[in-house]
Amino acid sequence: MPREAEPSLNEREFIHQALREQTRIDGRALDAFRELRLQFGDERGVVDVRLGKTRVIARISAEVVAPYPDRKFDGIFTITTEFSPMASPAFEVGRYTSDEIILSRILEKAIRRSSAIDTESLCIIAGLKCFFIRADVHIIDHDGGLVDASCIAVMTALQHFRRPDVSVEGENVTIYSLREREPVPLSMLHHPLCITFSYYDSGEIVLVDANRLEEQTREGEVIIAMNMHGEVCQISKFGGTPVDALVLLNCTNVALKKVQTITKFIQRQLEEDMRKRDVGGLMAELSAENER
Amino acid sequence: MPLDTSTYALSLLRLDGRRWNELRRIHAQISTQAAADGSAYLEMGNTKVICTVSGPSEGRRGQGQGGEGGKARIEVEVNLAGFAGVERKKRARGDRRIAELQHTLTQAYTSTLLTHLYPHSTILITLHILSLDGSLLAATLNAATLALIDAGIPMSNYLVACTAGSTSFEESDNADPLLDLNGQEEQELPFVTVGILGDGDKVSVLVMESRVQMSRLETMLVVAVDGCKRVREILDGVVREHGRNMVEGAVG
Amino acid sequence: MASSILLPGDTIPPSALPHAKNPSKPLTLGPGLRHTPPLTITAHLAGPLHTDSKKNAIWVENNGGRYIPHPSDLIIATILSSHPESYTCSLSPYTPPTLLPHLSFESATKKTRPILLPGSLVYARIASTPSSTHLTSSSSSSSPETELECIHPSTGKADGLGPLKGGMVWDISLGFARELLKKGDGVAGIEGVKRFIGEGRGFECAVGRNGRVWVDAGSVGDTVRVGREIVEADGRRRGSEWGRGEMGFR
Repeated sequence: MPREAEPSLNEREFIHQALREQTRIDGRALDAFRELRLQFGDERGVVDVRLGKTRVIARISAEVVAPYPDRKFDGIFTITTEFSPMASPAFEVGRYTSDEIILSRILEKAIRRSSAIDTESLCIIAGLKCFFIRADVHIIDHDGGLVDASCIAVMTALQHFRRPDVSVEGENVTIYSLREREPVPLSMLHHPLCITFSYYDSGEIVLVDANRLEEQTREGEVIIAMNMHGEVCQISKFGGTPVDALVLLNCTNVALKKVQTITKFIQRQLEEDMRKRDVGGLMAELSAENER
Repeated sequence: MPLDTSTYALSLLRLDGRRWNELRRIHAQISTQAAADGSAYLEMGNTKVICTVSGPSEGRRGQGQGGEGGKARIEVEVNLAGFAGVERKKRARGDRRIAELQHTLTQAYTSTLLTHLYPHSTILITLHILSLDGSLLAATLNAATLALIDAGIPMSNYLVACTAGSTSFEESDNADPLLDLNGQEEQELPFVTVGILGDGDKVSVLVMESRVQMSRLETMLVVAVDGCKRVREILDGVVREHGRNMVEGAVG
Repeated sequence: MASSILLPGDTIPPSALPHAKNPSKPLTLGPGLRHTPPLTITAHLAGPLHTDSKKNAIWVENNGGRYIPHPSDLIIATILSSHPESYTCSLSPYTPPTLLPHLSFESATKKTRPILLPGSLVYARIASTPSSTHLTSSSSSSSPETELECIHPSTGKADGLGPLKGGMVWDISLGFARELLKKGDGVAGIEGVKRFIGEGRGFECAVGRNGRVWVDAGSVGDTVRVGREIVEADGRRRGSEWGRGEMGFR
């Protein structure tokens, strides 16, 4: 059975020593993210996120179902996470690790509970029909920063996704296929993103976007989800060495800056993808002329 | 469903008649269960928790038997009684919220207890939640601290926890912080749970699940830290009282 | 000499075989090749074909992801735990644990053996593997596990093997590790590393066939620089084959 390699004493000692000298082993600044790359699928709502060597794929799908009886006016939105053993020797099929529980809970709190999606807009007929939006997150490669990468993946995919248009006449619902009517984007209320801080030496040294080795040697982590308007959506510090309250407040300030940069980056990538898809522009679409 | 808290602005009294900086009644007992190595019963208002600790002992078979790297492993089991809430509800075993609660407690105590003193052993913390009315994480942390003290497991300091909220989500209007939220207040107001180690400002656990402006966070943190100090005094009193009784019992 | 790329199942044409200088020397088949009597040689790994006419050898170079222990490979191992007679070590996450006897260090006796904590690094040679007991040079040839040693079996000298103190470990591809160790005669592959790093800097280093390089250049900054240069050289060498190539997901 493969077992994940624990960092050796030499590595632990070296990483700590290097951080005390403000150096990271991959040459980044302490508050620098790794290179973030987004790649969109042909289909709407598929995005492949790479954060350094970490790679996460998110896919959004929609179907029409009956709403929950206690939430007649709301659509359904779920996020599921899938850890495959190909990402890391630490993952096994069919065994839930605490990593997995934490990731799914944090995504749930940061995106679903903070109502990033307007679930009321997913309702078609109250109590009878609604959209069921499903976000599947697959971890393809694990080199630290899973929460951050997954959150970016889900949020980007949600903005990239288009659901089929519907029209309601009395009790009759028509769901238009993609060819009949232009599909519509999901209605989003805000765009939260997660930033993970790793700390060493009781909060003396704080890093963002730790890679796997740094994660394995850290004393604790604080995960902050925020949107670019400065609203904190969730904070999680599950134990770990105690740190000063001031350090934590400082983290929220850094998180805000990071969230703003990443949100802008995602926005730019989405616009670029839009341009690529819309090759001919509006005029080409409106033209009635056939190619001969 | 949002409740109407608009009365707060008029009377400055909360739904249960407390002022903003009042804790609910905290009642705690130590050594309630004879069968366990350590146990405690804790009430924070209407949130009632029983905690038992067993160990340090040999771990359960087939689970890697105790901790690795010369340290004790800490296992936490949280049991939410079906009758704890307002409606009777049976919770599925794999409930992620409970799993997260267990993870938080495990992480918090792994760094608080002196686990290196018990290599290859397991410390099992079992929590039963009898009644649920807000501040669940805080109550479980406090109960577990008392039970661990009763079990005589060395720890670097008391880990005590408390919640604090704010009467508004927005930045603009002037909102008041609130201390120690009950279940109704938790439903509609933003709140943080803060766990403090010792009597300084060292935050060990910090969990917030609601959306709130970052400027609100600071006041909430300050109020929660202050609340933790008061909880600590109460728990300290309980432990000392228990100690006194034990000494008197032994003499008499 | 790389001549052509082979895929599993390809047969080697007789023209590709090395022209031995000494006709009496038998042809040696290296990794990735298989002989079907009487005269067919087929590849069972993908990669460029290499031949050596001096040694009359032929093999397929394969930059595989998983390290499989072979006797007399030099590796960097991490100590997992200590037992009465030996240490248990890990070579990579996917390799089964290996044994390092307490006495296979230079001038080690029952009383003077080095004490290594779990997590320490050792530079060692693979003494025997379960599948190759006939090649073994160690005493316990019947061991079902891979065994390591930190001494030269005949001289009893360390020859640069032993515990690694300080420094930092970097992960590289197996093919690059092999290349670094190939030309540098003997221990540590420092010659190989220097070809990529350039002269002018003093540093200690050790290359393990299990895809790990240990570097200590004195200061943190220099160690990071040397380590990153090695990792980047590996990345450049792999080039479009890995990493840079867009693995399109559609």
